[in-house]
Amino acid sequence: MAEIEFRDVTRRYAGGVLALNGLNLTVADGEFLILVGPSGCGKSTALRLLAGLDKPTSGEIRIGGKVVNGLAPGERDIAMVFQNYALYPHMSVYRNLAYGLRQRKTPRAEVDRRVRETAELLEIAALLDRKPGQLSGGQRQRVAMGRALVREPQAFLLDEPLSNLDAKLRNQVRGDLKRLHRRLPVTSIYVTHDQVEAMTLGDRLCVMAGGEIQQIGTTDDIYNRPANTFVAAFMGSPPMNLIPAEVRSGVLHVGETVVTSVPTAQGPVTFGVRPEHLRVHSHYAQGMLPARVDFVEPLGSHVLVTALVDDARVIVQAPAGTHYDPGTRIGLEPSPERMYFFDRDTGDVRADRERISL
Amino acid sequence: MPALLRRLSRTDTVSGWALVSPAAILIGIFGLLPVLMSLQLSFQQSDLLTDETPWVGFDNYKKLADDPVFLEAIKHTIIYTALFVPGTMLVGLFVAAALNRSVRFISVYRTAAYITMAVSTISQGIIFLWLTDRDYGLVNAALNTVGIPSQGFLASPSQALYVIVAMTIWGWTGFSVIVYLAALQGVPAELHEAAAIDGASAFTRFRTITVPLLGPANLFLIVWLTINALQLFDEVYVTTRGGPLRATTVIVYYLWDRAFVQFDAGYAAAMAYALFVVILVITAVQFRIARRHVHS
Amino acid sequence: MSIDVPTRPTAVEPAGAETTSRWRLPFSPWHLVLIPLTFILLVPLLWMLVTSLETEGEANRFPPVLFPESPRFSNYSEAWASAPFGHFFMNSALVTLVVLASNLIVCSLAGYAFARVRFLGRGALFVTLMATLMVPFQVTMIPVFLIVKWFGDNVWEGLGIDHIGALMLPNLATAFGIFFLRQFFMTVPVELEEAARVDGTSRIGVLFKIILPLSLPALSTLAALTVLTSWNDFLWPLIVITSQDQMTIPLGLSYFQGAHRVKWPLLMAANVMSLLPMLLVFIGAQRYFVQSVASTGLKG
Repeated sequence: MAEIEFRDVTRRYAGGVLALNGLNLTVADGEFLILVGPSGCGKSTALRLLAGLDKPTSGEIRIGGKVVNGLAPGERDIAMVFQNYALYPHMSVYRNLAYGLRQRKTPRAEVDRRVRETAELLEIAALLDRKPGQLSGGQRQRVAMGRALVREPQAFLLDEPLSNLDAKLRNQVRGDLKRLHRRLPVTSIYVTHDQVEAMTLGDRLCVMAGGEIQQIGTTDDIYNRPANTFVAAFMGSPPMNLIPAEVRSGVLHVGETVVTSVPTAQGPVTFGVRPEHLRVHSHYAQGMLPARVDFVEPLGSHVLVTALVDDARVIVQAPAGTHYDPGTRIGLEPSPERMYFFDRDTGDVRADRERISL
Repeated sequence: MPALLRRLSRTDTVSGWALVSPAAILIGIFGLLPVLMSLQLSFQQSDLLTDETPWVGFDNYKKLADDPVFLEAIKHTIIYTALFVPGTMLVGLFVAAALNRSVRFISVYRTAAYITMAVSTISQGIIFLWLTDRDYGLVNAALNTVGIPSQGFLASPSQALYVIVAMTIWGWTGFSVIVYLAALQGVPAELHEAAAIDGASAFTRFRTITVPLLGPANLFLIVWLTINALQLFDEVYVTTRGGPLRATTVIVYYLWDRAFVQFDAGYAAAMAYALFVVILVITAVQFRIARRHVHS
Repeated sequence: MSIDVPTRPTAVEPAGAETTSRWRLPFSPWHLVLIPLTFILLVPLLWMLVTSLETEGEANRFPPVLFPESPRFSNYSEAWASAPFGHFFMNSALVTLVVLASNLIVCSLAGYAFARVRFLGRGALFVTLMATLMVPFQVTMIPVFLIVKWFGDNVWEGLGIDHIGALMLPNLATAFGIFFLRQFFMTVPVELEEAARVDGTSRIGVLFKIILPLSLPALSTLAALTVLTSWNDFLWPLIVITSQDQMTIPLGLSYFQGAHRVKWPLLMAANVMSLLPMLLVFIGAQRYFVQSVASTGLKG
């Protein structure tokens, strides 16, 4: 059983900096959970606390049901892949892979077997005699993963392991990771700031900001049912458009314009709609958002139109070939089922939008 | 275009030499010229005062091989070096390892460790003469409390050299600590973290990760400390003047004595050249060995 | 949300201190190691201080007195009066200052030339000068003695034997200083210089207005090293100086030792006075001293 649990974990640093604020999180056995968020959100802190490289100010951390707060990193039966790989520069790849097993007094024959198996799996068997300094970035990354895999631990901790790779390699390794996890479904916690990585890799995503969880869910949950404006704007590229608006008597007003009738309560709101859920019309009509084109970015498969609705900047995804001169007045039609309403002050999504069907 | 370039390079050459000339002249006169003069001197007999310096060929060098005092000086220098170099490195490493953490007041502790670097060799000598005084010294007092009788230390022919070893290790600790501390801090924290996760205890981490990565620092210290050890003079002069009974006569002390006390400059110059060659050879050998063993 | 009762009161330690320590001490246990260690390292200096405040009777007691009855500060004034310490300090200060200034200027000029100016013979000259680093002082000291004697006889008496000028002369420029500054100057981006040259600044102007202001750390480091080496130099002054009024502190102290061999409190007082300037400079400029060692060490 390798369930991981954070119970009310807080980490405060000298000087008052609150890196984690009462984190409550459970990772199921065999699950691949992604911690995603901007830098400073607490995701790396959570990982380090789990690894034992740092101590929580308060709260409990459990691995496999056992409280590990007092255990040294080496006693927690976890393995970690570091962002900069942290390979032992003076040891060969073989010895790097074997190090953890040797520390646990594993018999030499067993060590050899496991090292070679893992090296085969990651296609680095030919590099066993080389030193890290003689390897390419991609090879080093695989050795770092191998070092974690060979230990066969209860849980894998990965700290932005792909961020030092170039784009092409990153895509490739992402696929490798997914395949690997399907083969060896070990509980894994993966930290990244890249939302594309987060959405493609994880069983579940945990979006964090300011030391707190903003939302946990599948990619579908996070993307289509964001819990607040932060999640809505953070996930998705380009991000969701957030426009200040007001609902009066059941009707959405953006600035002076009456847009459409909406089933949500009275008052000021933040109106959210994704670029791909806005249709561009060359002429404004009732029910649309009036906008003025700022500039157009062709991307081959589609075009991104950046326009101004009152003073708010809105990005719209339009079919390939669309073109407007800057300054042109256009109309933007939101899909009724894809409109989101967030509380203007707290940013939380409004509960009553449940009534809108998807 | 080529003409312009030529003009530029000429003015560059002019300005280049103009900038370099003060240094070149000074080092030329006081650095290079003496090397040649010394060589010439070693083939002569000179007393530094009169202008009569008859040529004696290789006689000075031959005398060296037969000089019992010189041979003894070599022996003492070797013993000293063999103890001083590893001693300073071990003490330095030990202290640096203790200082490589971020507790409160760590900068105060570090300053205290570095400070021996600022103490002149004379001051060191005087302090240690007093500390090891046979009749009133602190060290003998401490020894007495655990039942060991008072020792002669610097006054004893059999112990004096070793006391000088201890004294100079103390004096060089600051330097050694600085080098090792810098090297220890150069080991990325992530390596320690990875090793900790792999299950290595603090001591194992030190042994298998930290120490192997200290190669460059070790090489530097071995070379630098050896070169300095072979040139030991000040501390001997201040404490024992080469005694008692020549027990602490090292090469440079003997050299100085012959040149500026006995006024036998030609012979001393030959000795200096012999020492020079030895230093070069030993340094070269150390680098050779290092290239084979040190990870870079 | 409710605040859970913490499982264990933990001291907030800076990140990176991965411990599973179960200590309940209000301070790190390492202090228990560091304090005795520091004490042992400093014992010689502390004992020197204690002795300097004792009377001769107290010093000549066995087992030794650990704390003098009443600190005898008069040892210091007596020591000062027994030898021309004023002269010693002045000489040391003067020599060190001149050597420092000279090195900084001359080595900067040369270092810059080697780093940035392409001149004919640059490579050969550099190698030749650096070769002098390999030669130990003992090889050159006898001829330098003769050279300095020549200067004293033929140029100016103040530069010759038994004058502090002779202490300055051979040290006005060092190959190490040139090497060190050259290395540093090479790290200054060429673009800065080129921009200035395009604006019409001369080579020397570039050196003084652009490079040197950016090189303060390196200059400070070299200064620290030069000051330390010059101030504590013993062998060369021993060779050249015999008159008390021309002695530097190390030499003066040695002379004092000869004259007052068993008057330990007096000798220790003299020692403390001699040590103090360099100790204070060291503590104040510690950063640069550490830099000087670390940078030579890690560059091999």
